[in-house]
Amino acid sequence: MNYTFHWNQALRRLPEMLDGALVTLQVASLAMLIGIVIAVFLAYGRLSDNRTARAVATGWVEIARNTPALFQIYFFYFGLGSFGLRLDPFSALLAGIAFNNAGYLAETFRGGLQAIPPSQTRAARSLGLSALQTSVHVVLPQMFRIVFYPMTNQMVWSILMSSLGVIVGMTSDLTGVTQELNARTFRTFEFFALAAVLYYAMAKLTILAARLIGWRLFRT
Amino acid sequence: MKILKLFAAGAALAMLAVPAQADRLDDIIASGKLRCAVTLDFPPIGMRDANNEPVGFDVDYCRDLAKALGVEAEIVETPFPDRIPALISGRADIGVASTSDTLERAKTIGFSIPYVAYNMVVLTKEGSGINAYEDLKNRRVGSTSSTFEALALEADMKKWADPKGAFQAYQNQADVFLALDQGHIEATVVTSTVASDAVKSGNYAGFKIVDEAPYETDFTSLITLREDFGLINYLNLFVNRQVRSGRYAELWGKWVGGPVPDLTVPGVYR
Repeated sequence: MNYTFHWNQALRRLPEMLDGALVTLQVASLAMLIGIVIAVFLAYGRLSDNRTARAVATGWVEIARNTPALFQIYFFYFGLGSFGLRLDPFSALLAGIAFNNAGYLAETFRGGLQAIPPSQTRAARSLGLSALQTSVHVVLPQMFRIVFYPMTNQMVWSILMSSLGVIVGMTSDLTGVTQELNARTFRTFEFFALAAVLYYAMAKLTILAARLIGWRLFRT
Repeated sequence: MKILKLFAAGAALAMLAVPAQADRLDDIIASGKLRCAVTLDFPPIGMRDANNEPVGFDVDYCRDLAKALGVEAEIVETPFPDRIPALISGRADIGVASTSDTLERAKTIGFSIPYVAYNMVVLTKEGSGINAYEDLKNRRVGSTSSTFEALALEADMKKWADPKGAFQAYQNQADVFLALDQGHIEATVVTSTVASDAVKSGNYAGFKIVDEAPYETDFTSLITLREDFGLINYLNLFVNRQVRSGRYAELWGKWVGGPVPDLTVPGVYR
């Protein structure tokens, strides 16, 4: 390969790229929060006796887990757009990742719920707790302990997936910023390598932070 | 004896070193193949016909060049953002892909003299209330990532910094038109050739060209690696010859029509 690397040129634009990384973290975290809330309902739906609830939850999980995230994001932007429902790129990306997160997390949560002995629910109910109280105070806290590390993986995946925002016109996240800098200077390798390092750092920091939080919350 | 051995070793080294110095022009002639990176998402300059074959101004231009070199042309489809990786990774020898010749980019790659020039227009939908370029400042606008007009429009949107204004960059021209059609964006700035092609195609209801964008003329060049001077020299002469022989005007008439863009800048050499 006949190419002279100019790392300085890329490093000078690091502040702009870090701003982009912040947007990436923002959209990934929000998508994770929304995904967790929806996934709790989906997990209960999957285990429910109600046929409609089970069908809706199963449908969501099937579509979210068996279609490419790229199509899901594209759908929220151009798919809804063709019905006159317009989301801006940030919202479409957020919706796409949250949809995907919810599908994957629902299955993780279902596994977590099934790992908790049903006798605990019966014991809680016989002590006079309502169904909601049983879930909130007995079942869910234990479930979140079981699924905490798989959830961390999903957060990392969420960060990496957010790079797909460029297909719906996202210009402010790390990939969007990188692409614009690339177009301006044609220093493709330098900028994309730097972006890869930043994504790696974000993923590693997420795992590290999750370990610390997990140690704080769940140590026995 | 010793001196003779040294001499032989030196000669051997020199022979090893020579092929490594060969210009890409030699590689093309030796391989009998010219691989052109062409963007096929830029009608009528580069596109696919009904049989999915690459056609357009740039495709013909590449074939003319291959013919002049006495080699076979191979079209390597390359989206705008991938032009440089395609060259550097060796997937293509040259880029025939309307690359705007900015000084910033010339730090990285080698440009020929301009082979075609474009003017930019504002494309919007009927009823948008946009009548001039200045009307874009508080609107949602977008363009194709990595193009001259995207960089120029984004720079102006940043300069105007109107809180209601927003700029979006899409991965290809088709997505820009889809976004405009669906109302994600209210207008785009695009080369006049692409704009009139979109309006003529009848695929998009209500598209209309309202104004010329007040940018400098967008001179675009053939590109190759910066250090392949032999090839760049050849490309320069080829561009000159295409104009001299009338082939440039002929190709422009065949694919685009209307006045043929002037490739010279008054008052300066090159």
